[in-house]
Amino acid sequence: MTSQTAASAHLRNVNKFYGPFQALKDVSLDIPPGKVTCLIGPSGSGKSTLLRCINVLELYDSGEVRIDDQLIGYDSPGGKVMAANRLREMRREIGMVFQQFNLWPHMTALQNVAEGLERVRGLKRPEAQARAREALAKVGLADKEDNHPSHLSGGQQQRVAIARAIAMEPRIMLFDEPTSALDPELVGEVLGVMKQLAAEGMTMVVVTHEMGFAAHVADRVVFMERGEIVATGSPRDVFNNPTDPRLASFLQGYRERNSLDF
Amino acid sequence: MTEIIQRYGPDLLTGFGYTILSWALGTLLGLVLGFMIEIARRFGPAFLRYPIRAYVEFVRGTPFLVQLFVLYYGGPLIGLRLDALPAGILGLTIYGSAYFTEILRAGFDAVPVGQVEAARAIGFRNTTIITRIMVPVMMVSALPALVNFAIILTKETVILSMITVPEIMFQTQTMMSETFAFVAPILILALFFWGFVELISRFGRRLERRFTHYLLDRS
Repeated sequence: MTSQTAASAHLRNVNKFYGPFQALKDVSLDIPPGKVTCLIGPSGSGKSTLLRCINVLELYDSGEVRIDDQLIGYDSPGGKVMAANRLREMRREIGMVFQQFNLWPHMTALQNVAEGLERVRGLKRPEAQARAREALAKVGLADKEDNHPSHLSGGQQQRVAIARAIAMEPRIMLFDEPTSALDPELVGEVLGVMKQLAAEGMTMVVVTHEMGFAAHVADRVVFMERGEIVATGSPRDVFNNPTDPRLASFLQGYRERNSLDF
Repeated sequence: MTEIIQRYGPDLLTGFGYTILSWALGTLLGLVLGFMIEIARRFGPAFLRYPIRAYVEFVRGTPFLVQLFVLYYGGPLIGLRLDALPAGILGLTIYGSAYFTEILRAGFDAVPVGQVEAARAIGFRNTTIITRIMVPVMMVSALPALVNFAIILTKETVILSMITVPEIMFQTQTMMSETFAFVAPILILALFFWGFVELISRFGRRLERRFTHYLLDRS
């Protein structure tokens, strides 16, 4: 896997509405290159929406989203919606991993990874498959390339999904609750692969409920509530010295649910 | 009976031929048209949606025989002069397209959104998403219904006899009116359709296995 220069992402005054409901309220955030940024917060706080605005799976209504200095979603700030081919080009730089894995069920693990290389990057099949094998090896699934998703565990499926994303050599990776659909004993293998990616200097934006992962791997933690960024800082600041009362109560609730005192 | 078969055998074979031809073309073209209509409805401009809905409701809401008469006898009024066979095939195509498009609509709806989003996130173009992801995925649920409607269409072909397409029903009727024999012709007709439908459903099951092989346990 040739390593590309990691990209940064920048959100400026981003607003997103679903009908009358405002999912993002004037959100501004800088995602530094080569770092892990974890988004935490209660469900419905806008974490996933924010993430999906970065690769425009959701089109934000106003504001600016940039990958490095390139605007994505619109031709110009407040201008026309970006043309489909231009958006596709920009999306090649952005990998995404979903809560529900979203592998294509009719393809083997290898085909799932190779498909984008063939269809989007235009590689010939042998070349695409060779690169797909590298990516599968990297997530520890070299021996599963012929399995269809239905014959893989959740953790394995998610690792194939990560391989599918990294095979495209993205410069930034988005993770939307990558371990939330997994049985607890399978969470570790996925987090392990993510740590490895982080160590290689990939820009990562991770929406997560895994506070342990956020505490140990994140360079920056962003706490959201009701469509707003309420607090941001190093894991130490956010987890150990929460100054914002909403953050403090969110963490308190988390600790109570995950406490080992019966 | 042998005498009748000897005398009418060639006509009956011709009839089988026309039935199979009009079914095959009508089904194939109906499926293609139905697919195009569904793609237009799903990915095309919004102003197409209402006319498409009207088309589907009209075709599904009127008897096939009426549609065929409108096409064959009414067509010349608007300059559409077709021989019986092309008119019959076009009629089947139109009739089939309305049902196929509805089956495909349900099929497209059943494709998990996330699988399409994953493809979009990677940067696939829409045509690739449709051909490589949506169609294979939806076939699991849509194929039995598509095959089922193809089977229904085999039997709709007998209606083409009403506009003088020389298919099997037409031949059988000729045979009946000339010989006053009823049992043998009807029996032949029934056996033919039974065998025909059996073939289609076997073929359909093979196709289903092809599209669903990954769901079968082979670990």
